[in-house]
Amino acid sequence: MSGTNRNARSLDDRASIDAKRAKAWGHILFNAILALLFAFMFVRAGELPSSMWEPMGAGTFPRIVLALLVAFNVMIIVKELPKLRQTSPLSPGAVRTWLTEHRLAFGVLVLFGLMTAAVPVLGFRWASLPFLIGCQYLLGARSTKALVIATVVALALSFGLDSLFRHVFTISLPRGMW
Amino acid sequence: MLEAIFLGADQLFTFTTMLTMLVGVTVGVIAAAIPGFTITMAIVLTLPLTFTMPPLQGVATMLAVYIGGYTGGMISAALLGIPGTPSAVATTFDAYPMSRNGEPGRALALGIWASFFGTLVSTLVLIVAAPPLALIAVKLGAWEYFSLVIFALTIVASLVGRSMIRGLLAGLLGLLIATVGADPLMGVTRFTFDLRVLSAGIPFLVVLIGIYAVSQLLKEVESPDQVQQGRQLITGRIEFHPFAALREVLMNPINLLRSSMVGVFIGAVPGAGGSIANLLAYDQAKRGSRRPEDFGKGSSEGVIASESGNSATSGGGLIPMIALGIPGSAVDAVLMAALMVHGIGVGPRLIMDHADTVYGMFMAMFVAGAMMLVICLCSMRLFLKVTSIPKSIIVPVVLTCCLVGAFTLNNRVTDIYLLLGIGVVGYIMTKLDYPLAPLVLGVILGPIAETNLRRALMTNEDWTLFFTRPISAVLLGLAVISIVLAIRYHLRENRQKPQDA
Repeated sequence: MSGTNRNARSLDDRASIDAKRAKAWGHILFNAILALLFAFMFVRAGELPSSMWEPMGAGTFPRIVLALLVAFNVMIIVKELPKLRQTSPLSPGAVRTWLTEHRLAFGVLVLFGLMTAAVPVLGFRWASLPFLIGCQYLLGARSTKALVIATVVALALSFGLDSLFRHVFTISLPRGMW
Repeated sequence: MLEAIFLGADQLFTFTTMLTMLVGVTVGVIAAAIPGFTITMAIVLTLPLTFTMPPLQGVATMLAVYIGGYTGGMISAALLGIPGTPSAVATTFDAYPMSRNGEPGRALALGIWASFFGTLVSTLVLIVAAPPLALIAVKLGAWEYFSLVIFALTIVASLVGRSMIRGLLAGLLGLLIATVGADPLMGVTRFTFDLRVLSAGIPFLVVLIGIYAVSQLLKEVESPDQVQQGRQLITGRIEFHPFAALREVLMNPINLLRSSMVGVFIGAVPGAGGSIANLLAYDQAKRGSRRPEDFGKGSSEGVIASESGNSATSGGGLIPMIALGIPGSAVDAVLMAALMVHGIGVGPRLIMDHADTVYGMFMAMFVAGAMMLVICLCSMRLFLKVTSIPKSIIVPVVLTCCLVGAFTLNNRVTDIYLLLGIGVVGYIMTKLDYPLAPLVLGVILGPIAETNLRRALMTNEDWTLFFTRPISAVLLGLAVISIVLAIRYHLRENRQKPQDA
C-alpha cells in the first residue's frame, strides 16, 4: 500500500517538475520572441514623423512603451533562466501528454479559426451552423438526443441570430459571396 | 424648486414612462450580460427609439438601460468569468471564484445589492453635490489625467496575478496595442505594417472579448474527460438567498460607502468611467480589509466593492453633464445627444432652464435602481440556470456570440480576425500565468495617457509639472506607493512559501 502511495507521489513530483520546466521554457521562448519583436518595432517607431507643434512626435510615446517592454521581457527571461538549471530535462513523452490533455482546447480553437475564415466567404449563417454542430459534437454531444439539441441550438444561433440582428436591430451580419 | 420637482414627478410617473423604463432596465441587464455587447451599444440602439417620446420619458428610458447595464455586466463575470462590460473586470476577481466554489447564487445576490446601493449613493451625491464636484473634476488638466492613468495601471498590475513584473508587462502590452492605427494627435498611421486588418487600429472591445472570452472558454475545455461526460460549468446545489446577501452587504457599510464614493468621483472625471472605478474601488477595499489574503479567492468584500464602485459611476458621470455640459463617458454623451434632439441645450443653464427635466432625471435614477433590483432578484434564478447547461453547449454558443459582438462593433470582418488572434495570444498568456486585466485596462487607457502626455508637454515643455502640480503629484505618489506595497507583499509571500525547488 505504502509502495503504491510512494509511486503516486513520485509521479506527482515528476509531473510538477516537468510543469515547472515547461513553464520556464514557455516564458523564455515567449518573452524572447516578444523582446525581439518590440526591439524591431522600437527601431521602426524612430522613423515616424516628428511634429513642429509639440515636443513629442507620433513615435515618442510608443518608443517609451516599447523600451519598457523590452526591459521587462529581458527581466523575465533572466528570472526564468535559473529554473532550467534547477530542474531536470522533461520526461520522455511529456510534450505528447500535454498535447493530448489539451486536444479539446486545440480542437475548439481550430474549429473557431475555420468559422472565422469562412464567415466572409459563406456568410455568418452557413459558417456558424457547421461550427456550432461540430463543436458540440467534439465536446461530447454524441447521443441522438444530444445531437438533436445541438442541431436546434445551432439553427437558433446561426439563422435565428442572423434574423434577429437583421430585423430587430437592423444590423446585417456578413452574408457571404452569394 | 419644489414646483420643478412636482412637475418632473408628474412627467415621470406615467404608465407609459414606467413601462418603457421597465423594458429599458430588462434590456440593459440582458444586453450587458452578453460578452461583447456593451452598455454604450445598448444605449446607442435605444436612442432612435426615444425620438418619438417626450424628452423626460426618452432620457428616463435610456437611464434605465444604463443602470440595468451596470448590473448585467456582473452576470457573465460571476458565472462565466467573462466580464460582460469593461466595468465588470474587477468583478471577475472574486465573484467568479465564489461561483466556482459552489456559491454562484451568493455572488449574484451580493452583486445585485451592491449595485443597487451604489446607484442609490451616487444619485444622492448627484443631487446634493453636482455643481461643486463638477468644478473639481473639470479642474483636472492633462498632467492630472496622465498621472491618473499611471496610477490606475500600477494599481491593477499590483492587484492581480502572482508577479508584479508580469502584471506591468501586460499593462504595457495593452498600451502598445492601443498605439496601433492612427496616432491621436497627428493622424499618422503606426505599426500597421501595411496590413488591412490593422489599418483601423485594434478596438478595445475586440481585445476585451478576445482576451477574456476566447481564452477563458478554451480553458474551460482543457479536461477532456469532464467535458465529454457533459459536466456543467458549476457543479453542486445552487442556492439563491437574496436577504442573506442583503445582510452581508449591510455588514460592510464602510466598504460599500467608500467604493460608491470612489465610483461617484471617478464617474465625475470626464473620460474615466466604470472601467477604472471598479478597479480602484476593489483596490481600496483590499487595502482597507482585515482579510486582504481572501481577495481573489471569492471574497464577498471584493464583489461588493467592484459592483458598488461601477454602478456608482452612473450618477457620477451625470454630474459634469448636468452642471457643465461635459459628458463623463460615451454613454453620457449619448444621453446628452438625446436631450439635444429634443431641443434641450445641455450646459450650465440646464438646471435653470429645464429644472423639471433635471429633477425628473434624478427621480428616474432612483426608480431605475429600484426596478433593476426587483427585476434582477426575480430573474436571477433564471440566469443561474446557465450554470446547469453542459459546457458542450455553452462554449460554442458563447464563442458565436463573441464573434457577432466583435463584428457588430464596427461592421468590419477584419475585427473577427483580430478577435481570433487576440484570443490565441490571451490563451498563451493565461497558460503562462499573465494577468489579463492590466492588458485590457492598458488598451482602454492608452489613448487617454498618450493624448494627455503630449497635450501637457505641448502646453508647457516643463516635465517637472507632473510632480509639482498637487493632484498630479499625489496620483504619481500613490502609484509609487502601490508598486512598493505590492513588491513588499510579493516578497513576504515568497518568503512564507516553502521552497519547492
